[in-house]
This record gives sequence, C-alpha cells and structure tokens, in this order.
Amino acid sequence: MRRKASLILLALAVFCTAMSPLMRWYAFPRLAKIPAGQYQNAVLEAKNPTLLDYGSMQSKKVSKVTVVQTLKGNVEASEQVEKSAGRDVVVWDSLSYIVGPDGKMVSQVPERYVFDAHSQAPVHPTGKYAETVDGDKVRRDGIEFKWPFLTEKRDYEYYDAQARVTRPIHYKGTRTFRGLKVYYFEQTIPWMKVPLPRTMPVKGITPESVAKTGTTRWYTTVRKFWVEPVTGAPVYGEEIQHNELRGGTLLGGRDRVTVFAGHVKMREDYIRSTVALVKSNRVLVVLLTSYLPWGFLVAGALLLALSLWLEARSRRPGEPEAAPAHEPEPVSA
Amino acid sequence: MRALIAAATGLAVALALVLTITAMGSPPGETSPKPLLTTVPKHP
Repeated sequence: MRRKASLILLALAVFCTAMSPLMRWYAFPRLAKIPAGQYQNAVLEAKNPTLLDYGSMQSKKVSKVTVVQTLKGNVEASEQVEKSAGRDVVVWDSLSYIVGPDGKMVSQVPERYVFDAHSQAPVHPTGKYAETVDGDKVRRDGIEFKWPFLTEKRDYEYYDAQARVTRPIHYKGTRTFRGLKVYYFEQTIPWMKVPLPRTMPVKGITPESVAKTGTTRWYTTVRKFWVEPVTGAPVYGEEIQHNELRGGTLLGGRDRVTVFAGHVKMREDYIRSTVALVKSNRVLVVLLTSYLPWGFLVAGALLLALSLWLEARSRRPGEPEAAPAHEPEPVSA
Repeated sequence: MRALIAAATGLAVALALVLTITAMGSPPGETSPKPLLTTVPKHP
C-alpha cells in the first residue's frame, strides 16, 4: 500500500516539477496577449496652454485644452490580418480628439495601429488593413501606446504619430507610482516639420490651402511614460509639446506662430482607473510568471520528498510491508 | 521500473495539460459597439 502511494506521489511530483518551467516558458508566452476586442479611453489635460485662434491667426493663453484618446480593438480586422500574418494580431483603431476651452474641436488624429498580440511588435499589413495615421499609410518600426509584457530596463523604439517617425524612448530609472513599481521612460522629438492635420478647426482651411501659402507646421515634444513592467502598461503619461506654423504668406509677415504649447498630463480620475486596471491585470501575469511556476516547483519538491520517505519506510527492515492476508483455514473438528 | 512508469506518466500528463491549455487559447471577443469619443467624458 505504501509503495503504491509513493509511486502516485512520485508521478504527482514529476507532474508539478514539469509544470513549473512549462508554465513559465511555454504557456506564458502563448497565453499572455492583448485581447483583440479591447476598448479603452484616456483623458489628458493641458492647463493654461498657448493655443492658436485660426480666426485671427493670433496665439493666446487659454484655460485648458483636453485630449480625449480612445483605443478600440477591431476584431474583424485582426482576424483578417492574422490569416496572412500567421500569428495573433491586434488592430487598434484609435482617435486622439483635442478639445479647446470652449468645448469645440481643435484637432483630431485617427490612427490604425497593428501589432503582435504577444510581443507588441508592430505588424505591417498591406491594403485595406494597413497601418495609418490621419488617413496616411505609415510604417511603424517601434511600439506605440503599450510596452511588451515583462518590460526590460532598456531603451525601446517608440513611434511618434505626429512626426511619423520612430525614435528611441529612453529608460530613465525605476520609480514608485501610486504604490506600483514602474519604469520611467522619456523620449524627445526635436523640432521637425510635420504634416498638417487633415481636419482643421476652421471650415474652409484645409492642409492643401495652407500648403499653397508656403506655411509649414513644425513640432517638438518631450514624451514621458511611467510603465508598469509586468504588464507593460503605462499607468501615467505626460507630454510637453510645442507646435508652430512657420513661414509663408499665411502668417502676415511673422516668422512663426505658436499653434499649441502646453504641458499635457493625464486627468486624475483616469490615473486612478488606469492604476486600478493595471493592478488587477498584473496579478494575472504574475500568476503565470511567478506564483504558479514557483508554487509547482515547491509542491514538486515536497511531493518527491514525501514519496521517497514513504518508499524508504516501506523498505525498512523489521517493518514489512502489509502482510498478505491469508484466508483462514477451515477448522475441522 | 514502476517508478520510471510513474515519472513518465506525471511528465506526460503535464505536457498534455499545457499543450491543451495553450492550444485552446482565448476567444477573440467582439469589437466594442462603443464609439471613438469626440466629447470629454465626465469620468472613466
């Protein structure tokens, strides 16, 4: 009986010990992925920024500019891209909608971002599902919006949708943010000539009509992200951005005019909800990368020890394994 | 010999379980009916 029990315990010990590395290095990379149908939004605000009044073409200080950013997973598109890419893909249709202090639209930039659901590496489909920014086909060679699971303490390539360029975003250290250990990343995009948004805040003004005047748009930004490294999700973001119109006849003899200059920060209620969301998602990732692998390993060691102990006891001299039961001999009188 | 069979059984079950779980994956879900926002939401 003891020998049978020790064999069962041995089988369980091997099962648990094998589950430990299998869970961490086989199951986790395949199970951890961004859901294709995710929907998320964030609100960022710039207090007392400088904003261009397109009516008078004068820059002025305003009380607030708000950026409403929505990410929406397009499941049908991701299924189509997966057929050609041969891997799990996420297609995010996003919109950055910028609202002035009067509640009217200042600018809007729609994007389509296609990436590997597991690694967050960009995917480059062609045709109908191609990645775009403001209607233009683009090629992202870096991450955007989200870092990979198990983010490393290193620089990453990050895509800037305004400038349509990929540049390094530098790891600047580990911090604590609202009780979470986070990696702080910073990217500086130097002054660059960038396209005008297709949708302008004043009717009658189009990118083409501005281009005809010889006026060009220039942009620089310092982008800051606080990234929770287990999930790779940014829990907070800031951007110090400057936009200018330069040259041409539109500016009435002026060399340059500020379109927008401000420090954009995530709104407090969205910080709290993002931190809460990331904290709950973090538990699932830690379960697969740490709790379960270590738990299985410890259980495997304990079960093996128990199995060996039972086996040793069953072989101890003077303590024979359960004696075979003998049928009593019939007694004859 | 029995110990070897027991160990092999444990290993085979672990492999079968992990392969099954990863092969099943997760359902793709559906595209959210919610719109891309063009107004400032009051709260998340």
